[in-house]
Amino acid sequence: MMTEAILNGRLPPPVRRSDGVIEPFDKERIVKSLVKETQLVKVLYNLPPMSEEDARMIAEEVEEDIKNMKLRFLSGPLIRELVSVKLLEHGFDKYRNVYTRVGMPLYDVYSIDHSEGYEAKENANLQPNPETFHKKKADFLSKESYLLMMPPRIADAHLRGDIHIHDLEYWGTRPFCQDHDLRYFFYYGLMPDGTGTHTSVAGPAKHAEVAILHAAKVLGAAQTNFAGGQGFFNFTVFMAPYLMGLDDKKIHQLAQMFLYEMTQLYVARGGQPVFSSIQIEAGVPKVWQDAPVVSHGKIWKDLTYGSLEDQVHAFANALLDEYLKGDAMGKMFNFPKPEVVQRRRYWTESEFEDVMLKAAQLSAKYGSTYYDNVVPKYRGGEEGVSCFQCCAYAFAEDGASEDFKRKINFEDGAHFSMGGMQVTTLNLPRIAYRSGGDENRLYEILKETMDIARDALLLKHRIMVQQFEKGLIPFASQRPKGAPPAVDIKNLTHTIGFVGMNELVEHVTGYELHEDPSAQKLALKVLIEMDMIRKEYSEETGLKFSIARTPAESCAQRFAVADMIHYPKYAKEYVKGDLERALSLYGDTKDVPIYYTNGAHVNVSAKVPLYERLAIEQRFFPILKGGDIFHVWLGEANPDPEALLKLNKKLALESWIGYWSHTKDITVCRACGFVGGGLNESCPMCRSQDIRVYSRITGYYQDVASWNAAKKQELKDRYRIRLPA
Amino acid sequence: MKKKMAYIGEIAPLSLSDYFGEPACVIFFSGCNFNCGYCQNWKLKKSSNEHLTDIESIKKVISENKLVTACKVTGGEPLLQLDALLEIGRFAKSIGLKFGIDTNGSLPEALAKILHLLDLVSIDIKADLDEESYRRVIGLQSPPVSEVIKSIEIAMRSDAYVEFRMVVIPGYNDSTKTMKSVSETLRALGYEEKASKGKACFNLIEFVPENAFDEDFRGIKNPSVSLLHDLAVSSGLKNARITHRGLGILKPVY
Ligand code: SF4
Repeated sequence: MMTEAILNGRLPPPVRRSDGVIEPFDKERIVKSLVKETQLVKVLYNLPPMSEEDARMIAEEVEEDIKNMKLRFLSGPLIRELVSVKLLEHGFDKYRNVYTRVGMPLYDVYSIDHSEGYEAKENANLQPNPETFHKKKADFLSKESYLLMMPPRIADAHLRGDIHIHDLEYWGTRPFCQDHDLRYFFYYGLMPDGTGTHTSVAGPAKHAEVAILHAAKVLGAAQTNFAGGQGFFNFTVFMAPYLMGLDDKKIHQLAQMFLYEMTQLYVARGGQPVFSSIQIEAGVPKVWQDAPVVSHGKIWKDLTYGSLEDQVHAFANALLDEYLKGDAMGKMFNFPKPEVVQRRRYWTESEFEDVMLKAAQLSAKYGSTYYDNVVPKYRGGEEGVSCFQCCAYAFAEDGASEDFKRKINFEDGAHFSMGGMQVTTLNLPRIAYRSGGDENRLYEILKETMDIARDALLLKHRIMVQQFEKGLIPFASQRPKGAPPAVDIKNLTHTIGFVGMNELVEHVTGYELHEDPSAQKLALKVLIEMDMIRKEYSEETGLKFSIARTPAESCAQRFAVADMIHYPKYAKEYVKGDLERALSLYGDTKDVPIYYTNGAHVNVSAKVPLYERLAIEQRFFPILKGGDIFHVWLGEANPDPEALLKLNKKLALESWIGYWSHTKDITVCRACGFVGGGLNESCPMCRSQDIRVYSRITGYYQDVASWNAAKKQELKDRYRIRLPA
Repeated sequence: MKKKMAYIGEIAPLSLSDYFGEPACVIFFSGCNFNCGYCQNWKLKKSSNEHLTDIESIKKVISENKLVTACKVTGGEPLLQLDALLEIGRFAKSIGLKFGIDTNGSLPEALAKILHLLDLVSIDIKADLDEESYRRVIGLQSPPVSEVIKSIEIAMRSDAYVEFRMVVIPGYNDSTKTMKSVSETLRALGYEEKASKGKACFNLIEFVPENAFDEDFRGIKNPSVSLLHDLAVSSGLKNARITHRGLGILKPVY
């Protein structure tokens, strides 16, 4: 009898709940849930929630529709979709936003579990493994939810491709990155969960091995709280007190231990190693010379870092020696990224020549050294504390900043906490397209777009401070023995990145950056304008804002593809890569081989000698205090380390480059284990074709086999400093 | 004023592997009087009009390039265009760069004329220094072996650093017998004395088949690191080195 009534459309069918219970349809449930859940509209967008009256009207209409559908059964999700459609019909978009379900098609879940499709390639750092599959599904769900929770103005700007909000999957839960102050953990000890309730609590390290292990675990634990890179600034200096009295062999062993810990703790963010970096000082920087040593749980009364220069120097050498050795297969250590600091005295005082030479040897062998050059004036030189994070974002505290002295002296646990809150990247070429090539209009649209980016960053700031204060980012907010929190959340930097300066100026002036001084001039003008706007933001809010080139893992490609959709007429002319192939692939996949040039870089494939590239790009460094990188593309498989050393010296002392690395491709043979330079087709040792090729496009080494098509294209296009005369 | 032109195929504005210990600008002259089957740079073997380049523009590239400390001319055979070479050499020296060339050794008179400008001269040793062995490698009916020996003599007597480069091609010049005969010749010409002053080296270089000019040579397997190593040792020469993609450049052997 019941069935008949349902099929005749007189009664709605019963509802199969997701917990397995079957119950009759009840429209009051819809009314109740609408009234309850649309409260989020108040929380998220500060607009009134739905009235009960409206909710009932919606529920009744949905009931009518269901009756007419002649279904045999209903499910919770199905009803929810029907209600969502009804909300849209009545123009209740915002209520729909918070009422809808998030999730993904079953087909995509299947693809992820089997490591197929675009999602499988999006983050080249994610090796397919069970943890990764979990992460990808969670990421998908999180991204979708956060886009709904954001004010539509921001979400739409992201979706349209005006801006890119990085690490969206962690939008509501994690700040971006952090360079930690090791002294904090050497004084207070280690509490990996931040509260001591779920993990054991260790007192401060008393022995060198323990100090090394604590350091590794700090980065691992912190990674669970942060979306991006984790590192230690001044690593060799802060480790030094544990190395007193140890012989060189022991120090090497410790260095090796650390590198293995950081590349084998394969546990972070869905089964990957911690995205880590360490700053390697060859000696003790001026600001630390007279600072009291903090280690072994105490502030030493009669010991300054300046007196430990021998240990610092020995540890820097040991680390570089171990990096040079590579792992048991002779493969390089991908992490932690070595950031070798360049100071004038490391080049002029001959005792540091060994560290500089080993850094060069490491560049020659694996290309893995990063050079953090504090020689140029704009870096704040010997008076401040600064670092570059994994993705070449830079953070600094100048010596004049409040509390600087207290932090140097670790007074009441005062310490440095440098890092990023969030990165939001601008699609510069689109700003040019929208301006119609008119410069004044360009600055207006730039400002509008930056305002949206700023609003996104401020929103992130509010959310993170709330989470932090509720103890929901527990490693960062830990306060052992009443210490100040490990991370100074309000002091994190809000970074506005950008992609495609080259294409912006190309559209306006008709020339790419390397083709004409007018193009370079415009780039500089745009950057200065951006920097002025940034300053306004900082002054208005009292927060740190910075402008940086984006390492653009997938951003350079995403913007290019977005512009092919929204601005095809222009985009066709300006995107780089293989447009023809892109168009043929288009429709089936978003993973097409087109991209914009990163940051304010010269087109990778331009036939421009390195010194000209340098002359153009170095002018942008003083403005891009939030981070930039100069890639020294090396054409040769095996550069001569001595020659490379001389090149480094010139870059350190005679250029404005604040951060560079040498980029060389690496071949790893899976048949014989050979590791060497060059994009070889087969192994030079055993001639096997079962090889892997590693290269670096976006800031760190990746296996090219897992790269998406655009990145592979970039690799092909890049210019090998060869010039036809 | 008439432009001075030279056949210059390309420039590597920055090379970190063509000049010992120095970041260098490398200029590739085109045109060669040899016809080596193994030639790893064969696109520059013939000079073509496309390569004609104003020497002033070359000078400009060299002088604007503040990242290098040396300039090296290779080819092809650079000594075939002596005037252009002299001009570039003088210019490089005048702006404080070190200057070096590669040569196949067939033009001793030209070499003598430019020697005063050279900080480095790399001379190819193709095989045993006799006509028959050379003929097989360089593809000429009457190989100018006596000229090569003359070039070696001249270079030995100079102040320049002399590198003897030998690309090891399995089946052609990879026997211990060859090593013995080459080292004997070099020794007789004063190698040991020069090497003990740190002014000469003997460099055995991996032949890379996919880069070879001649089809037949492309089928040859590249020599292994251990072969290069053993040959270097068997030469018994001071400052013997090997260069192999699998190794990194210029590993001193002992
Ligand atoms: S190998 Fe040298 S000498 Fe022989 S043909 Fe080629 S360029 Fe000329």
